[in-house]
Formats: sequence, structure tokens, C-alpha cells
Amino acid sequence: MDQPDHAIHQAVRLKIMAALKALPQGEAIEFVRLKALVGATEGNLGAHIGNLESAGYVDVEKDFVGKRPRTRIRLNKKGRRALDDYISYLRDIIDSPTEGRAS
Amino acid sequence: MPLTSNEAADALRDLSETERRSARAYGYHNAAPHLILWGLIWIGEYGGYYLFPHYPLIFPILSFVGVLGSFVIGTRMQPTKPARFSWRYFTTFIAFVAFMSALFAIMPPTRGEQIGAFFPLVVALAYTLMGIWLGLVRIGIVGIAIGLLTLVGHFYLQQYYLLWFAFVGGGALILGGLWLRRI
Repeated sequence: MDQPDHAIHQAVRLKIMAALKALPQGEAIEFVRLKALVGATEGNLGAHIGNLESAGYVDVEKDFVGKRPRTRIRLNKKGRRALDDYISYLRDIIDSPTEGRAS
Repeated sequence: MPLTSNEAADALRDLSETERRSARAYGYHNAAPHLILWGLIWIGEYGGYYLFPHYPLIFPILSFVGVLGSFVIGTRMQPTKPARFSWRYFTTFIAFVAFMSALFAIMPPTRGEQIGAFFPLVVALAYTLMGIWLGLVRIGIVGIAIGLLTLVGHFYLQQYYLLWFAFVGGGALILGGLWLRRI
């Protein structure tokens, strides 16, 4: 990978992906818990999740628990692979003798 | 703009830190309902035995209910659907019963209070070890708190030890569970 994946090459989106990757495969996290983990505002987090969903990296489920709306986010296989590739990209930069890649 | 190796290293560090916090929060989130359930079971067991001292069977019966409850919670929390049998809870229960049976056969307790204090101490040890080995600090703190409360009840409040374990021990578990849910 010579160029970073721009869908996840952003601090908040990277944190979202990392937080989701730590869960067992197929496990989803509630929006409010993800917000606390990432430390983003509600609007900001919602926008970044929208970007990741458009890139096809996360699945978003909306339902109701009783009368309370609930949003759950899950990292899918494509997203897990994209994050692994991005981590390899970062490691390549660190290991490279001529550091510095386009971002 | 080129990404330097320092920036890449910072990004990797942020990634692993977020992963670590997320995994820990997931552990707390999963442990919370078990703690609340067992807090209620303790209140039922010790409180029930205080009210009905001629029915010691209340302990194994409610413990069995607790194991079933933990099994149901564990199965429902499995991310993959449909829910599968959670063998870990069942085999943990079997190992626990076998250990207790062997221990009491070798070192039989002479007073009921000893048994009453022994089980909370085992639970306290289990939570403390989880805190140490899994990095789940809050669960470790709950374990230490339960251990200390048990020792205080056993040595200084023998007259009220059943009520002490019911409301202070059970209450500590419930509060611990609610504390973990806030993560």
C-alpha cells in the first residue's frame, strides 16, 4: 500500500475502527458506548460513522429497546481487512529507511 | 503531506491504546450483569437463611439458580447467532463444585460461619485474579472490596454475619455491577 486508505486515514475514524476491532468478530457496540470510547461529540461521531459506512467498512443497525432508539455499529470483514492493511502501511513507514509517505 | 515515521508510530500507539480500552470496556460490559445477578443471589441466600435458619438448602438451590442465570446471560451475550450452549459457564460450575467438595472433605469446616465466609472469599479471589490477569482493574477492586468486607463481617460482626453478607456483600456485588455498566 503506497497511499493511505483515506476512508480511515483520519484520527477519529481510526479510533472508531480500532475500538470496533477490539470486539469479537461479529459483535456490535452501541453508539453511546462508542462515543465514550472515542471521545467525540455525537454529531462528529455520527458523521464519521456515516463515512465508514459509505466506504463499506462498518454495518450500522438501528432498532428500538422498548421505546428507546438504539444504534449499533459493527466492523465487517472488509473493514477489518482495511484496518489490517492500514496498520501494515504504518509499519512499513516506520520500518522504511527513507521515511515519509504521502498522506 | 508526507507521513513521518514518528507520526506513523504515534498513530499505531493511538490505535493499540484505543483497542485496549475498547477490549477492557467490553469485559466490564459483559461482567456487569453477572455481578448484579450474584448480588441478588447473595441477598436471597444469606437473607433467606437469616429468616429461615432451618432451611439451609436455600444455599444450593439459589446457587443453582445463579448458575442457570449466568449460563443464560453468557449464552445471550455470544455475538454469533443463534445462541449456542455456553460450555464455559457449565464446566466452570462443575470444576467449582468438585473443588469445594474435595476441600471440605480434606478440611471440614467446624462452624457454619466458616462456610458463610469461605464462599465470598473464593469469589473475591476470583475477581481479584481477573483484575490482575485480564487488566480489568475495576473487577479487581470489586474483588478486594468483597474480600475485605467478608473479613470484617467474619471477625468483627459474627452476631450479624448473615445480614452483613446479605446486604453488604450482595450490595457490593450489585453496586460493582452497576459501576461496571457505566463504562
